[in-house]
Amino acid sequence: MVRFKHRYLLCELVSDDPRCRLNLEDRVLSGLVRDTIARVHGTFGAASCSIGFAVRYLNAYTGIVLLRCRKEFYQLVCSALPFITYLENKGHRYPCFLNTLHVGGTIRTCQKFLIHYNRRQLLMLLQNCTDEGEREAIQKSVTRSCLLEERSDEEQLSDSGGEEPSEAME
Amino acid sequence: MPEGAGSAAAQTGARCSCDFSMAVFADLDLRAGSDLKALRGLVENAAHLGYSVVAINHVVEFKEKKQEIEKPVAVSELFTTLPIVQGKSRPIKVLTRLTIIVSDPSHCNVLVACTHLDVDLVCITVTEKLPFYFKRPPINVAIDRGVGFELVYSPAIKDSTMRRYTISNALNLMQVCKGKNVIISSAAERPLEIRGPYDVANLGLLFGLTESDARAAVSTNCRAALLHGETRKTAFGIISTVKKPRPSEADDDSLPACKKAKCEG
Repeated sequence: MVRFKHRYLLCELVSDDPRCRLNLEDRVLSGLVRDTIARVHGTFGAASCSIGFAVRYLNAYTGIVLLRCRKEFYQLVCSALPFITYLENKGHRYPCFLNTLHVGGTIRTCQKFLIHYNRRQLLMLLQNCTDEGEREAIQKSVTRSCLLEERSDEEQLSDSGGEEPSEAME
Repeated sequence: MPEGAGSAAAQTGARCSCDFSMAVFADLDLRAGSDLKALRGLVENAAHLGYSVVAINHVVEFKEKKQEIEKPVAVSELFTTLPIVQGKSRPIKVLTRLTIIVSDPSHCNVLVACTHLDVDLVCITVTEKLPFYFKRPPINVAIDRGVGFELVYSPAIKDSTMRRYTISNALNLMQVCKGKNVIISSAAERPLEIRGPYDVANLGLLFGLTESDARAAVSTNCRAALLHGETRKTAFGIISTVKKPRPSEADDDSLPACKKAKCEG
């Protein structure tokens, strides 16, 4: 087979500062991950992980990140992710960490997992929210996401992406 | 039941999808500072990341004279309702634990501790190069007794010299014990020092464990250590007395080497 095989790492950026997620940009994150791999695995790690490395999807509201790397070196990347302790952008440093949710061979499997995960997050938000208006908004999102189950996956991803109530919870 | 399926999934080798939907994860070391709010944040974070069981660790220095051991933090003080574990519908279970530091080698040799002392876990300190080498016979005796070895990873995340010592001590331990009965936990004091279970299993790979061993280090071996602690109160692990009027759990009749994953009734 002539195809290059990849691994897609689905991660969530967790931080106690709400401004940290808004500062997520793919260049910033890509530089951060490459730096961390260089720190942990040295020159060999930095070189081998940089060939197929890319940030494929980024959602600043929920903090979900999809990274791509080559299949032969994905363990180097995976094992370096826990060592990320801060995100630096425009001179500000925000303490945070990356929580790996799922590793998949294709973007589609990661998408399926993400939809499932977002649906669960919506339900948890529904339990925790206190305001009536928010509660109605979340209930509408939940019913909409259930109805769209048979539809194509791309629509669902964009639907469940806009979660303003999630900022209130995190 | 849960752990059996979880470890069976791990045996399929090159499958990269983390089939963690069945396993129960535990982080058995959260450092209890004096700040209750940080502790609360820690436990909430642990629940959000997917840990079903956490243990709050109180560290005590061993002194010759009798000393007062501080009262452990009561869980009901921390939370009125325990946070729900991400991905499951049950609330997180919070336990407490005591760690005794013995720094005097003449008084209590570490390797002797493995064989004779009535402990559940032996912590491998990572803050400096260990002055002694692990010898195989006491380690094997400890494994047979069911004593686990604990590696901590939060110094590795904070500092780069600590990282070197952690990895070298961990690799040293792995060569002797071959990855059995090892658990990995964070000595986290702040909410941002804890890492998710999948990440911790990947750290286990760095420490020299195989992939299946690393997953077991976060799930089944922790459970085994907890059961080992429970069986110290019971008679041969079969009969236990409970204060509350609840049916007592039917423990398996395997003795202290509680490595076998057990179904909870």
